[in-house]
Amino acid sequence: MPEQSKPALDKNPKLINASPTKEFFIYMLTRDIPLTRAILDLIDNSVDGARRMRSNGNFNDLTIRVELDKNHFKIADNCGGIPVDIARNYAFRFGRPKDAPLTPGSVGQFGVGMKRTFFKLGRHFTVCSATMTSQFEMDIDVEQWKATDQAGKADDWHFEFKTVEEDLSDVPADKIGTRIEISELYESVAESFALDNFLTRLKNEMSLAHTLSIDKGLTITVNTIPLNNEPAKLFISDKLKPAFVEKIYQRELLDGKPGLPVTVKLFAGVAERILHEGGWYVFCNGRLVIRADQSAITIWGQAHDMRQYHPDFAYFRGYAYFDSDDATLLPWTTTKTGVDVDSPIYRSVQQEMIELSKPVLTFLSNLEKERAAVEKGDSTDKSLDQAIKSATAQRTETFQISTKFVAPQPNPIQAGPPMQKIQYTKPLSEVKKAMKRLNVHTYVAVGEKTFDYYMEYEGAE
Amino acid sequence: MSGSYRTINYSLRPAKTIERKMLCEVFHRLYPFGKIENYRYIGFGSIYFSDFQLFHRNLGIDNMLSIEKDAYAKECFEFNKPYKCITIDYRKSSEVLPELDMSSKSIVWLDYESKLDESILSDVCTVCAKAGSGSLLIVTFNVHTDRNPDEEQKKAYTEQTGMEYNVDDYALHEFRKRLGDAVPREVKGTDLRGKGVGKISRNILKSRIAEAFSARNGVLLTENKLVQRQIINFLYTDGAPMMTLGWIFYETSEENKLDACSFNELNFVRYEDTAYNIKVPCLTSKEMRHLNAQLPRGETVNLPGVPTDDIETYAELYRYFPAFVEAIYT
Repeated sequence: MPEQSKPALDKNPKLINASPTKEFFIYMLTRDIPLTRAILDLIDNSVDGARRMRSNGNFNDLTIRVELDKNHFKIADNCGGIPVDIARNYAFRFGRPKDAPLTPGSVGQFGVGMKRTFFKLGRHFTVCSATMTSQFEMDIDVEQWKATDQAGKADDWHFEFKTVEEDLSDVPADKIGTRIEISELYESVAESFALDNFLTRLKNEMSLAHTLSIDKGLTITVNTIPLNNEPAKLFISDKLKPAFVEKIYQRELLDGKPGLPVTVKLFAGVAERILHEGGWYVFCNGRLVIRADQSAITIWGQAHDMRQYHPDFAYFRGYAYFDSDDATLLPWTTTKTGVDVDSPIYRSVQQEMIELSKPVLTFLSNLEKERAAVEKGDSTDKSLDQAIKSATAQRTETFQISTKFVAPQPNPIQAGPPMQKIQYTKPLSEVKKAMKRLNVHTYVAVGEKTFDYYMEYEGAE
Repeated sequence: MSGSYRTINYSLRPAKTIERKMLCEVFHRLYPFGKIENYRYIGFGSIYFSDFQLFHRNLGIDNMLSIEKDAYAKECFEFNKPYKCITIDYRKSSEVLPELDMSSKSIVWLDYESKLDESILSDVCTVCAKAGSGSLLIVTFNVHTDRNPDEEQKKAYTEQTGMEYNVDDYALHEFRKRLGDAVPREVKGTDLRGKGVGKISRNILKSRIAEAFSARNGVLLTENKLVQRQIINFLYTDGAPMMTLGWIFYETSEENKLDACSFNELNFVRYEDTAYNIKVPCLTSKEMRHLNAQLPRGETVNLPGVPTDDIETYAELYRYFPAFVEAIYT
């Protein structure tokens, strides 16, 4: 028990100490999140800065520069900076106070991200930030800060500004922004930062998570290399069109309070057949929280009376975009690595996602049946196959009007005598000999011709 | 491994022959880590077993394992096995490698014909996770660019992706198909022009190995932590452009043993990113004999009518140069 809590207990013998320790907070918070995601949290803060600055969503000329190696981690942006007032009262608190001002459409909203990342990465951090009217610097030694517990100030959860200036009017534009540096990295963190593969993964996650912001002109660099993005695309043609639904959920319906609504856009369709990229993608305020989900978290499996994800469905893509000016209404988890599956809004949207997916999955099952029938020789109809092969990939933003999924219906297999496939294996040298004698070029033809030959001589009734 | 051995006679590929002999010279220098004849050699012998013959005869290695996925031609492989000390395992390398005990010193040469892909990375990781100190890992793979698809392949690309065909996009698409997320995000189709495939493949392999070692070292004492050092970086073309990379593994406390190997005395050893190019000049036997008489060189080597470049290259390689002669066995 921290020393300094004792006097209060002494005064009131009925009091029981339930105050948290800093050690516990740091221990618990930092274990809950993978390293790459912790770094993404800092990017999220910068993106929020960009949103505050440019409510029109044009992020041209805004940059977030990340630098990391085995000795240090740095992130610097020109996204407006953290106002001193926010820093003093909200940004460094553990948890977001109820009265905290709202960043419309923000991606950071739990009030844990930034601190968690500092504590996860190293033992020392500095923050310098400047807005148009204020600037501050912080220089914190984590061990020292933790040690204040033993120094008789258990309740002291404050950090201190190293310098702070307010009510300025002459902050030069190129100074505006935030710079964070973390040093005295933990050994395992330093080890990871030195690995190229870690960087590859980090860049991959960053560009996937913020693909929408990058698309709006935001530049993110990692060790000076700018990240590129691959916008979501779906196949479209005369015969094939993805489904698109837009829904607005009024706040009263979500938590009984008045306020801003949540907009949800859903797309379901087909794209290139890639096994690990098939599935649902979920975004909250432009931030990817689920990538290519193939589990019950979205639509798959018995829990939803649906089939399990399967290689035949590797063409399937679903995109769900949740957007709200009040980020607390969105169904994401604090680590932004998943969705809160029990939240009413997600459950309602999930149902929509399932219904939207069904026609697409039916089409894909029919496509497999069509291919199997062609292979078996029962049919020569390839209209579904042709529909998918002749489509072009187009970005989801280009779809504006709500539509149902459109795809050709399977043609009933042509009536004819019932057919049976025969399959057998013979020594290659003999098959080749037969191929030569029959003057054909495929093994299938060898099989058919030899059968015809038999029927010609022995088949007569 | 399979199939190609009937279309390409491996013992006749000159650059490959030179590579094999150079590697043999590298292996000779492993003695500070242990007697070379006590090493185990693991390779893909095909039906020619050229590497097995060379390493058994020159180094005295008799613990030899050839991995051969073509189990159908078992009889043929057994017949062609040149020495009794070679064992052949008729399964895929991805099945064999995880079962091997590599704690003793091994030389593992994963000599693929194909381009770098996830299965190769996985085999490499297996060796990195298991091979003991003093071991060598050598990986050969094809670095040909995917820039000459035929009409059918172009059509298939458009049908699969819904995108118009473009040579750079196509090259990147094929590259990603083989390597997935291992390909760094910033790699563009234009980066895969010319030597780009080799450069990026090498980086991918290098980072995968670094990661495997980082994971393995995480729970080892400082002095037992394993270090990997690239010593081989060859490029050559016997038809398809090939890249061979080789790493030696040793414990941190054994740096002095590595120094004692003096690999740097061999002019083809490469610790860095730039490859040693094995170029094979076309010379007649008579020309070679004439040049040999002037080598190792003092001042200048001359041979009228042959380009100086070829002479220079030959002067560098002559000790490893193969001589192909028609022979009649009776």
